[in-house]
Amino acid sequence: MAADLEELKGMIEAALPGSEAVVIDETGTGDHLRAEVRAPQFEGQTRINQHRMVKAAVRERFDDGTIHALTIRILD
Amino acid sequence: MADQELTERVQELISENPVLLFMKGTPSAPRCGFSMRTVQVLDQMGVEYGAIDVLPALQPLREVTTEISDWETFPQLYVNGELLGGADIVEEMFSSGDLAKALGVEQPELPEKPEQPQSAQDLPAQSPPLKIEGSG
Repeated sequence: MAADLEELKGMIEAALPGSEAVVIDETGTGDHLRAEVRAPQFEGQTRINQHRMVKAAVRERFDDGTIHALTIRILD
Repeated sequence: MADQELTERVQELISENPVLLFMKGTPSAPRCGFSMRTVQVLDQMGVEYGAIDVLPALQPLREVTTEISDWETFPQLYVNGELLGGADIVEEMFSSGDLAKALGVEQPELPEKPEQPQSAQDLPAQSPPLKIEGSG
């Protein structure tokens, strides 16, 4: 099942109000994705917590096997 | 639900080792590209670190780290009892100097690593990694 990049972007932006997310299919296979995210909620958080916040937003798509790998880039 | 005995053992290891890496394979023979990259960074920092090969008990350990650290992929680098991150975060913190701060060492002066591309759009197309379970 291929990931819906727009859906993932929407999940991240809904979980982190005020954020901007770009989700890219790195390999063209739909399951190794990259998310670049800027969010006000990241302020003062450690890098790992910022990653946890993004992962939590799309956890459902990990759990159902849609995504296998998500590279996260936090933008300041 | 993670195995209680294994969870306690992992927590002991994390508290006993100021710098501890859970990885696939060993530092001299990493068996995953992400683990290899993390070892390469750590080896430049000049710190002693413990390394645990997760492959013999991958799924039980995944359950343990999910429970104690809310993180299910390997490698995982713990410094002073806290999970710093996996390969991406460790490399990024290395580049920014935050890893040296976390480890309490001087930033090594060897700009061997090429500049990271600023954005995914700059990356050349890559084939998917082979035989990597989960996301590494």
